[in-house]
Amino acid sequence: MSSPLKSLFRGAALLPGETGRFAMLLSGGILLLAVLPILTMIVMSFSGASNLDFPPASYSLQWYKAAWNTFVSPDASDVLSLGQALTTSLLVATLSMLFATLVAVPAAYALVRCEFRGKAAALQLMSLPLVFPMVVLGLALLLIFDSLPFQLNTSRLVIAHVILALPFVVKNCTAAMLSIGSEVEEAAQMLGASPLRAIVDVVVPLMRSGILAGMLLAFIISFNEFTVTYFLYNIDVMTVPIWMYSRTVSSLDPTVFSFAVLIVLIDFALIWALEKLVGEGGVSF
Amino acid sequence: MSGLVLENVEKHYGSACAVTDVNLHLPEGKLVCFLGPSGCGKTTLLRMIAGLETLSDGEIRLDGEDIGHTPAHQRNFGMVFQSLALFPHMTVGENIAYPLRLRGVSKADQQARVTELLQLIQLQEMVDRPVAKLSGGQRQRVAIARAIAARPKLLLLDEPLSALDAKLRESMQVEIRQLQQRLNITTILVTHDQREAMTMADIVVVLGEHRVQQVGTPIEIYRNPANAFVADFIGSGNIFPAIALGNGRVSLPGGAAIQVPICESIQAGTSIKMLVRPEDLTLSLPQATAGNRLQGTVTFVRDSGATIETTIDCSGVSLTALSTPCQGIGLAIGNPVSVTIPAEACRVLTA
Repeated sequence: MSSPLKSLFRGAALLPGETGRFAMLLSGGILLLAVLPILTMIVMSFSGASNLDFPPASYSLQWYKAAWNTFVSPDASDVLSLGQALTTSLLVATLSMLFATLVAVPAAYALVRCEFRGKAAALQLMSLPLVFPMVVLGLALLLIFDSLPFQLNTSRLVIAHVILALPFVVKNCTAAMLSIGSEVEEAAQMLGASPLRAIVDVVVPLMRSGILAGMLLAFIISFNEFTVTYFLYNIDVMTVPIWMYSRTVSSLDPTVFSFAVLIVLIDFALIWALEKLVGEGGVSF
Repeated sequence: MSGLVLENVEKHYGSACAVTDVNLHLPEGKLVCFLGPSGCGKTTLLRMIAGLETLSDGEIRLDGEDIGHTPAHQRNFGMVFQSLALFPHMTVGENIAYPLRLRGVSKADQQARVTELLQLIQLQEMVDRPVAKLSGGQRQRVAIARAIAARPKLLLLDEPLSALDAKLRESMQVEIRQLQQRLNITTILVTHDQREAMTMADIVVVLGEHRVQQVGTPIEIYRNPANAFVADFIGSGNIFPAIALGNGRVSLPGGAAIQVPICESIQAGTSIKMLVRPEDLTLSLPQATAGNRLQGTVTFVRDSGATIETTIDCSGVSLTALSTPCQGIGLAIGNPVSVTIPAEACRVLTA
């Protein structure tokens, strides 16, 4: 290791002595592994070559130009333009976010305030999508939707994404709910608010940060979702990840990387907004 | 009957009894204090009056109207919670205006009432402050202002001063009492602090072991406790077993006898319990036993500066005497001493 880097690590060590240095190296290594794919992708998007060799032989903005061209004048070969895919993605993400929140806020309230039979089971069921294999979930949903007597397009993506986002939204809302004592709610009732009014006027505003965190997480999860969506999309309704994948299987061209950089930027902006809104340590993933 | 009437009120959770057999009449405009050790059911009783707990049995009537099953938000009672429960997302002004907003009071009238209340609690310049920026005592005042903003029929205070430090608590006790008298609002205060009850209450309701033990003015309860529980809970007292000998004579466990006129009606040979308050005992340098003067030995001295508490072993009974420094006779552990038990200060307790 070069000496300036070494001194940087030593200067930033949180623990004294050898243990501290080891911890620094370990966490540095893991962080590097985590960002490596993103870094590779960014480097590749600036490739000047026309193949996928890494590292690229030369650098240029040609793939960004190509990406821009695809966006403004779609290829005839594409079944669907990126613009349409992006619109679908945004629509699905927004709807998933809204529905997940509408379900999660009352659910969090009930889970924290009320004692009811089957509460433990409800909690388990709520977090099932976290451990359930995505492929199985996608397949199961496909079977259900195909057995319906009517055709669902966008809405079946929304339903799937709400299921996937729900555990995260409920978890954030529950965490926010736990910090609200029942006395403020009772105080509102004593002052003349009906139980429902007390929730709207006092509980929901105090849950605000948790609700916002949940909403943004739901949006991000829906926007990035691939596996389950892959089972449920069709030629008319396609999200951005699916659109990108369909381009890479036919002909793997680095345009995809420039799109990917764009998506990563959007995700970063959303996560940054999340941290700003909620503050450090307020979000539970 | 005007005022608040509780009739056979009872609350149990499953088989566990929280409070039972409560019959009370709280007259209008008075400050009534529910006093008792923790777990005696005083907060449960207050919450039933507030409408935050359902009644298991019995009736609650306000000015003749049965309110036992009216939801809390329709009772129009003001309440100050132990945690104060101010709304942290609202300013001082918004907190106080909240009950008015719920009642559809016009913006201008809300404003006027908030200003009036802030003047009352002397926090006029705080109207736009978030409640988190207030000190403990200021929050206390805002909570009270919010509770009385909609002119409630009853003000309920659930140990509202327990979070404050001792000095502030004492001044808030006086402040709340003065405010209550000025507004002439019927108020119920729940506390486990008997000093607080003595300072503030018109009527004290002593609760213990899930039922009402005694109802009376603070002085009545202190001077004439109805039973051993009240005597033990209110103030510090010397409570000791004794046996009536007839003709008003009573023998202590160690064999010494004293003359207590109120025991004249008690049949000879009956076991009784006696109460003497520490401040009623007089200590003197050893003198011959005569009348109600007994001999004892000092076992402990606690000199707190303002008062001296002397514990004496006297005829098989451990007595504590309270004296002021100028009455002190310089006793130390092991010293012999004479104790005078004034006959008129003795109380006989039913167990």
